[in-house]
Amino acid sequence: MATASRVLQPSQGKSVPVRRSFGLDKLFLLLVILYLIVPLGATLAFGLSGANGIGFSTYQQIFSDPNFSATLLLSLGLAFASTILAIVLVTPTAYWVQLRLPRARPLLDFLSLVPFAVPAIVLSLGLVQVYGSSNSLVNVLSLGLVPLLSNPPFNIVNTPPLLACSYVIIALPFVYRPIDNSLRAINTAVLTEAAYSLGSGWWRTFLTVILPNIWPGVISAALLTFSTVMGEFTLASLFGIFTFPIYLNTVGQNEPHEAASLAILSFIFTLICVLGIIFFVRRGAGGARREDQIEIAAVK
Amino acid sequence: MQPQVARGVTDVATSTTGSRSPAKARIRRLPSRSWSYIITSWLGLVPFLLFCLLFELLPAVVIIEGSFTDSNTGVATLNNYQRLFSQASNLHAFQTSVSISLVTALLGAAFGFLAALGVYNLRTGWWRNFLIGFSSIAANFAGVPLAFAFIATLGVTGFVTVAIHDWLHISLYDLGFSVYTFWGLVLVYTYFQLPLMILVTVPALSALRPEWKEAATNLGASSFTYWWRVALPILLPSLIAAAMLLFANAFGAYATAFALAQGNINLVPILIGFVVAGNVDIDTGLGNALAVGMIVVLLVALTLYTAMLRRVNVWQGK
Repeated sequence: MATASRVLQPSQGKSVPVRRSFGLDKLFLLLVILYLIVPLGATLAFGLSGANGIGFSTYQQIFSDPNFSATLLLSLGLAFASTILAIVLVTPTAYWVQLRLPRARPLLDFLSLVPFAVPAIVLSLGLVQVYGSSNSLVNVLSLGLVPLLSNPPFNIVNTPPLLACSYVIIALPFVYRPIDNSLRAINTAVLTEAAYSLGSGWWRTFLTVILPNIWPGVISAALLTFSTVMGEFTLASLFGIFTFPIYLNTVGQNEPHEAASLAILSFIFTLICVLGIIFFVRRGAGGARREDQIEIAAVK
Repeated sequence: MQPQVARGVTDVATSTTGSRSPAKARIRRLPSRSWSYIITSWLGLVPFLLFCLLFELLPAVVIIEGSFTDSNTGVATLNNYQRLFSQASNLHAFQTSVSISLVTALLGAAFGFLAALGVYNLRTGWWRNFLIGFSSIAANFAGVPLAFAFIATLGVTGFVTVAIHDWLHISLYDLGFSVYTFWGLVLVYTYFQLPLMILVTVPALSALRPEWKEAATNLGASSFTYWWRVALPILLPSLIAAAMLLFANAFGAYATAFALAQGNINLVPILIGFVVAGNVDIDTGLGNALAVGMIVVLLVALTLYTAMLRRVNVWQGK
């Protein structure tokens, strides 16, 4: 009898998931959601219940602290600079490779995967040695650029510009992937030929034809970079640059309630960035969403 | 004929002077044109490649070179690796780093997979999108803010610690629990591993075709048999790839561990952080050797990850 009833089930179509709908998977989903929500709720409550009762007094203290606005402005500046640099560097290159040099694609794939094998902490150790000490091998390999960048006229050693450049490298995996996926989803060659035959030049084709078509990929890359840079602690702390996450860490050593409120502010910031990505990517063509999501969280 | 040839290949090809001469002209001219074409093509890559060289490849090269160099005298040596393997604290750091990454990757993979199954089986698309969106936010909520969120939740005076003490009269810290230790860090890392696993697994689950389930059921398979004998073997490469991604994700993490314990947990990234900050106990040579060790472990994980992903693609006929 049991076998007979089982055989009948497929004819009822959707009845199979219905039978499973209160199974083990739902229980674990509920537990995981609880695990993700409880710390957020607890942190919010902890931040609101300051030393003098429940209220928004910790937020008032935070907003009146001059270090808060100074570090937030520095982080925002760094985030804008890195985002713009990353997009300006990667988008034309990815288009150029797609159009003129498909054989260089493995090279770009490799370069965008290196940050996974060289995490931020290792990168910072390398950067400190490249730009901190004079090394003849480095001077030759960099075609003389490292000595140029490490000495007075363009000294970038331990300055915000070097930090912004290293953020571009950290963000490379999630800048290159969405842009490359969007470029693959459209017919670049046909669009370019059509634009050329109508008398458009390379830059005009790129800016007015290709870019509007890959906008969702570019926006998602930009927001991911922005959100990463706003929360990046490792490189900033080791270069000794006082950004917002460093400020959060310093506050947290003495004022756990204020730190909890700052953590909630960071969460709200991440929320805005991710909602922006979801909004823009859903409006545009989906492309290969899967790779985007894999890359969505790589920097801790 | 003369001006046409001078104007280039395309004009010659469209000229009406017979079918043989344009072909000849093209054969003769293509190499020279394609050489300049190739050179200009590569020139377009120069800015990007230079940037990667300066800020991505040179640091890696310097670390590998420095790991084989004595940091005081500059002589080539294997001394750094010898010290790495002879000092118990370094080996212990690797052991702690690998075990924390493995434990959180396995916890995240197991519970994340079951939760992803729950998300996948949800029939309302709205809930599904909401949960996936929430997962991407939670996966991005890491580093210093996450550490302080857990201190506010499970620290000595944390909200949940106090609540458990007030309601259940159990003091977690008297029982030996502490958020600032290995198992506390496991809890914190699991927070970003779980949503990442959900994000990676839900698309992999969509690769399961309903026909397979129907075919298995027609042949008399129970739900358990279907999952054990059909679905899990198909999903296994995706699951291993996801676990490797989670492993790499935890292994390179520095900010979370540093903000939580201010360097009191002996992890490889924390040791490297001491080197960069100029701690006298560890010199740059040993730091470089530690960094190369990290790169090697991460490369193993990433090789497994790409190999598994290739198997997934073969199976799905991509």
